[in-house]
Amino acid sequence: MRRAKFNTHSYGYLFIAPFIIGFLLFGLYPVYHTLTLSLTDTTMMTRQAEFIGLENFERLFADDFFLKAVSNSWLIWSLNFLPQIGIALLLAAWFTDVRLKIRGTGTWRTLFFLPNLLMPAAVAALFFSLFSYYGPVNQFMVQAGFQSEAVHYLQEIVSTRGLVVFIQWWTWFGWTTIIIMAGMTAIPTHLYEAAMVDGASAGQMFRRITLPLLKPILIFVFVTSLVGGMTMFDIPFLLTDGRGSPASSIMTNNILMYLKFSSSKGHIAFASSVGVLVFIMTTVCALGFFYLLRDRQPKASVKAEGQLAEIAARQGEPA
Amino acid sequence: MISRYRLETLGMRTFVYVFLIVLLVITVVPIWLLVVNATRSTTEIQQGLSALPSTHLFENFRILESKGLHMGRGFANSLFVAAASTVVAVYFGFLTAYGIVIYNFKGRNLFMGFVVLLVLIPMQFSIVGFFHYMSRFGLTDNYAALIMPLIASAASVFFAKQYLESVIVQELIDAARIDGASEIGIFHRVMMPMAVPGMATLAIFAFVAAWNNFFNAFILISSIDKYTLPMLVQTLRGDVYRTEYGAIYLGLAITVVPILVMYALFSRYIISGIAMGALKE
Repeated sequence: MRRAKFNTHSYGYLFIAPFIIGFLLFGLYPVYHTLTLSLTDTTMMTRQAEFIGLENFERLFADDFFLKAVSNSWLIWSLNFLPQIGIALLLAAWFTDVRLKIRGTGTWRTLFFLPNLLMPAAVAALFFSLFSYYGPVNQFMVQAGFQSEAVHYLQEIVSTRGLVVFIQWWTWFGWTTIIIMAGMTAIPTHLYEAAMVDGASAGQMFRRITLPLLKPILIFVFVTSLVGGMTMFDIPFLLTDGRGSPASSIMTNNILMYLKFSSSKGHIAFASSVGVLVFIMTTVCALGFFYLLRDRQPKASVKAEGQLAEIAARQGEPA
Repeated sequence: MISRYRLETLGMRTFVYVFLIVLLVITVVPIWLLVVNATRSTTEIQQGLSALPSTHLFENFRILESKGLHMGRGFANSLFVAAASTVVAVYFGFLTAYGIVIYNFKGRNLFMGFVVLLVLIPMQFSIVGFFHYMSRFGLTDNYAALIMPLIASAASVFFAKQYLESVIVQELIDAARIDGASEIGIFHRVMMPMAVPGMATLAIFAFVAAWNNFFNAFILISSIDKYTLPMLVQTLRGDVYRTEYGAIYLGLAITVVPILVMYALFSRYIISGIAMGALKE
């Protein structure tokens, strides 16, 4: 009889309890622990750590390597994000164009998405082999007469950075295309019909209808990509020597964090402060972007939320 | 007479197809070279490019194994971690989502908003704290540290919630309740059979994410016999294999081919899974 008094809806708490416990143990506590570590001088060697306030952060800001890692991450991310979103918009517009009637859009999307599923570590090692001194790219370029002799691609700053940018773009443009295309097909066709009756050109329709209605999706793509870009690790780490060579040109935030973490003394407090600063920087930029592009009509945010199902599915961080 | 309008469309269409073919070549050629070179000998690879496979697959495998890299064990390790991660992420993702969708408890919307926020927050920045905290419990160098956090996978919950909202039939649940089924029993015996397609889709994504995960495993796992495939790939980049190109490509192909096969079979679910969020509201 006690059971009858128990509101059925309270069972909801039991169903979400494992998630909450898991989150407290493996999500929240590590965050708290990282924050407190960053305020100490803990290394892997020490048992007793002392509270040193913001000293780690002061040292970071005075450290050229940190500033370099941050600027590298921004540079590599923005150089791959712009062509990624540009080509995705173009492809999505073409694939949904009723006049062009592109055949096999499903197949194209499927093929363009393929690189996204491949292990980034293996992709980095693959491009390392392809672009090595005796590798296939050099063979091809010399045989075809584009180069007079083989080039050390991965010892030049421009070509190494360019390659990281290319790989990130190669990995993500298919994903972005699928997301944007899904957003475009969700736009009611009567809007375009009305615009056509009013004599709007294709370009006008794109700017006045497609882009504004796509805004929540674009914000979503931007934020997830920014988060991925700021925590980029596998590709730049495995493409060269794991220290961001040549001349630290592809040393990203997470590579720096790893280098501090794995240094001979195991400076985990210092490594934590890198994580904390990168987190703050990313969150502030994402929120700032939300604020700048915020929609005055509350309905749009529902749509942006809907977009999340996809990360939901992947659990990876796009870059 | 072809009108100017149709001519323009024709020209545009040709341009689009050319553009698509160029993109396709860029997308596929590196992957094709990877698979083909895995079957070619180092000498053949050095002599030049080829689009066709050769016959040195087994020889490459022998070289790969002879230098102390146990791809077989790495493969088994990866398979175990990915399978366990998938089961945990899918089961707890759907369990939590079911609680949100079915029960109208107080604070439900707040909790859902919190899950959405968690999806966007980069958790990687706390990996150092996570490592240090796990080391206190002796859980570093233990797969549990890779698998257990997936109990609270916000992304899985979000996906499962989106999916459940579209398939759940409240009448079936009410009927089961009248028949005396327990709440958790309803979840297991009524909801789970109904949600198989959604669970399968989430399983694919969870599996690929765990299979490809390098950073967390690299930080947390230290003994060589526990290395997963992405960590062995890192070893492949080292000096021991410097000149054994065929073996290197084969090692990489071993990590990639299972995913390619999976994609060939399930690409429809994967693509619609990505697009799902957008098509629903």
